[in-house]
Amino acid sequence: MKPKDAILSASHVGMRFKGLVAVDDVSLAVARGSITALIGPNGAGKTTLFNCLSGFLPGAAGSVVFDGRRIDGLPPHRRSRAGLVRTFQIPRIFHRLTLIENMLVADRAQPGDALFGCFMRRGATLARTRAATEQARDLLALLSIERLADDYAGTLSGGQRKLLELGRVLMTDPKMILLDEPMAGVNPALGGKLLERVEHLRQERGITFLFVEHDMEMVMRVSDRVVVLDQGRVIADGPPDTIRADLRVIDAYLGRADLGASA
Amino acid sequence: MLEFWLFVLATAGIYTIFSLGLLVQFGIAGLPNFGNGAFMAISAYAMAISVVNGLPMWAAAPVGIGAAVLFGLLLAIPTVRLRSDYLAVATIAAGEIVRYLALNLQELTGGAAGTVNLLGPGIAADYNSSWLRFQSGVRGLISNLVGQRVPSDVAFIAILWPVALLLLAAVWYMVRSPWGRTLRAIREDETAVAALGKDVFAYKLQAFSVGAALAGVAGLFFAWQVSSFSPDDFRPTLTFYAFVIVILGGKTNVWAVPVGAVLFAGIFAGTRFLDFWPLSVFASGDRAYLRLVLVGLGLIVLVIWRPQGIFGNRREDALET
Ligand SMILES: Nc1ncnc2c1ncn2[C@@H]1O[C@H](COP(=O)(O)OP(=O)(O)OP(=O)(O)O)[C@@H](O)[C@H]1O
Ligand SMILES: [Mg+2]
Repeated sequence: MKPKDAILSASHVGMRFKGLVAVDDVSLAVARGSITALIGPNGAGKTTLFNCLSGFLPGAAGSVVFDGRRIDGLPPHRRSRAGLVRTFQIPRIFHRLTLIENMLVADRAQPGDALFGCFMRRGATLARTRAATEQARDLLALLSIERLADDYAGTLSGGQRKLLELGRVLMTDPKMILLDEPMAGVNPALGGKLLERVEHLRQERGITFLFVEHDMEMVMRVSDRVVVLDQGRVIADGPPDTIRADLRVIDAYLGRADLGASA
Repeated sequence: MLEFWLFVLATAGIYTIFSLGLLVQFGIAGLPNFGNGAFMAISAYAMAISVVNGLPMWAAAPVGIGAAVLFGLLLAIPTVRLRSDYLAVATIAAGEIVRYLALNLQELTGGAAGTVNLLGPGIAADYNSSWLRFQSGVRGLISNLVGQRVPSDVAFIAILWPVALLLLAAVWYMVRSPWGRTLRAIREDETAVAALGKDVFAYKLQAFSVGAALAGVAGLFFAWQVSSFSPDDFRPTLTFYAFVIVILGGKTNVWAVPVGAVLFAGIFAGTRFLDFWPLSVFASGDRAYLRLVLVGLGLIVLVIWRPQGIFGNRREDALET
């Protein structure tokens, strides 16, 4: 891939915890507007790699270029501002805020978000709140949780929390989304709908996706490309069909059936 | 009896402003600042010191508030990243450091004897005369209006409470603004807020500064009310009482703060009048302790019975992470 086609390119990214090498010299480029799956057994380092990319592990080695700009060394909120956002494997929602409020926190165009902004730019704040609330309700409807919009997020089930987190990152109007097991705990019918939505977002808005997923059927169905991580290393990287064949070889060779096991 | 209520209202007004600051820091942003009393002290001292050194009152008051905010930032920058339990310990220590400094920097503060010694022992220092002139002007106005001479406490309250209500309204508006919403989100999960692109550290500093500024305003009124104060007036219990007011009000409920403050000041001053049997068998000095014990017991019962506070929302409180 030519560097200019890649929205994200990581080189020699590494992270070790004490003696354990969780991410071992990973180099990876993700094409703009693509959907890439990151798979691998439990403990392979997928979440750790996400943490390296999104800035939550300041000790990470290697360099990361996002949208033509070096972002390693930037704190998480600056990477997010640059348009690279993420969700968490265990959803992190704001329990004592309503679903709508959860969504509105993610709004980037809100002048009232600044200290005294609500006084100094009162009209703009109110107008933006109205527009963003409408946008938030539409997104919640898309995720089939709009009837809970005014409930506290702490009352949501595990799967609903995943959906809310997804909605929240979409509110930020991102360029690229890192999804850590977005379908875990989500009802399969709705999961299928979400996949369609992901493809739609890629097409309509050109959003790039890198997602971790254990459900192989899902991975093969939506991704343009699959990256396999094992013990912190990239052991395979290619289009779904090639990887499907590869995985059988790897499984047979390693005598392990867990590489593609569903969660 | 009128005197009693005037005292309660004056104390409650000061506590209202002070507790509002804590509500922003602790209730909204989730930053338990047990050193908020120190901001009050710093503002009171900075104002008094400025006045005795020749600054007019209208200029000294903002100096006081500015000093409180500056100290707030100084304390917040190294500590707000701490987990909340460690933050509580760090701020309680900072508050005590300020009090001990005020006790020991005698040249600057007058030491244990208080602000009468601001210019050194033997020279009675006075930071309050221009405030008292202003206050008696207001007293005259009110007396003319009602057609009889009112106590000077009435004038104090007539200045204090409009300020308190204005600040209440401003904080209420800020808390429900997008800024306040982001602070509440930080209280719930700051990692998620950072992932959404907000500078959590900057927001925490802002919340801390707003709280320090409000404590600064409270400190000014406190200093004006008493006309001489000492480091002993800013013991940690001062901040604990504000925590009681904020927690009883449900932690995030702005309009519960003045109610809680009046209730607190009323109970606190009111238990002084517990001189009927069987309490009258105790000597009056013992009764002073007894009322603290009673207030404490009442609090414990209330917190067990209604952990969400008097005005809090039980459903919301049950979702605490
Ligand atoms: N903060 C940490 N401190 C120490 N070790 C860690 C830390 N985070 C992750 N690890 C270790 O790094 C390795 C990779 O963990 P990681 O969470 O990245 O795996 P994963 O591929 O996301 O697994 P799963 O599919 O179960 O989510 C594991 O062995 C884990 O124990
Ligand atoms: Mg993981």
